[in-house]
Amino acid sequence: MSWSDPARRFEPAEDVQLRAELRDLLGLGAPVAVQTVEPTPELKALADDLRREALRRSRTQRQRPSWGLLAAAALPLLAALAGLGNWGIQQKHRADELTVQAQRQEQELTRLAASHATEVARERQAKEEVQQKLQLASRKSSPKTEPYLVIPVEKPLKGVSDDYQRVKQKP
Amino acid sequence: MTQSPQEIPFGTQEAFHAAFAELYPRLVSYARRYGANFPEDIAQEAFVILMQREVPVEHPTAFLYGTVRTLSLTERRPMKNQNISLEAVAEPGQAAYAEDMVLNQEVRERMRLLSPTFREALWLFVVEGLSIREISEILAIPEATVKTRIHRAKAQLKEQLNPAGGVHVLV
Repeated sequence: MSWSDPARRFEPAEDVQLRAELRDLLGLGAPVAVQTVEPTPELKALADDLRREALRRSRTQRQRPSWGLLAAAALPLLAALAGLGNWGIQQKHRADELTVQAQRQEQELTRLAASHATEVARERQAKEEVQQKLQLASRKSSPKTEPYLVIPVEKPLKGVSDDYQRVKQKP
Repeated sequence: MTQSPQEIPFGTQEAFHAAFAELYPRLVSYARRYGANFPEDIAQEAFVILMQREVPVEHPTAFLYGTVRTLSLTERRPMKNQNISLEAVAEPGQAAYAEDMVLNQEVRERMRLLSPTFREALWLFVVEGLSIREISEILAIPEATVKTRIHRAKAQLKEQLNPAGGVHVLV
């Protein structure tokens, strides 16, 4: 770092002329040649004190964390995020597999239900055919008979036994 | 491209002392013009901040002036007016003292009649002898804006010297 400012050292001529014109307008007169100021002992001591203060601050100042430190600090978080993402992906795969499995089971159950219904219908039809054949056969084989007259028979009255004594006369 | 503060920041010890002796009084005066209560402290703090930097600045003079300006305005923060200009904060007991050290009464009156915005750029350009680029860094404005302000200040100065100039009067 240098105190000599290149922007001022290579100042354009028009700027120098403009400054001179403005000095004339203000009544400041011609610019005084820059003289090297001889630093007094007090100024030297003050400058050294300020430099020591800057050094002290730069040593005691909390340093900004570097990128490596930030990366190290963020590593656990990144690992946790990666693990969470991996777990999520595994859960998704598992859910997809379960979905496919459930769909297969559903299709299998549908297929079984359909075959069972077909079987039942076939058996029912066969049973009806057998019943029809039996009815036809029974009609052809058995002669016509009169219907039976059914007379209901009462139960025989229980006989009154004589081995008891009437103890009270009727009025 | 970093520079440790432990290294010699200004080339040699003698160069640092010479630069400090040249700039320190100017910075104290500049801080006083902003109405700073402790201009010496502000100028010293600016030097410490400059030497504390790890990355060297391109224009140290502009950096010092800009830091002094910022610190002076920050010191006046309770006034809630950070956009005040150089002359707007001039107080009779302090800023006028700084002017008296550099300017006579006539020049001071001409500067006072200028617009505060133009006056600040004019002061830095003519009295402090800073370049356009340095002023643009100090005021945080483009170089073209600095040139515009200086040229308008020049026009206002010409208007002060010759109020009827350029005005065509019909007879």
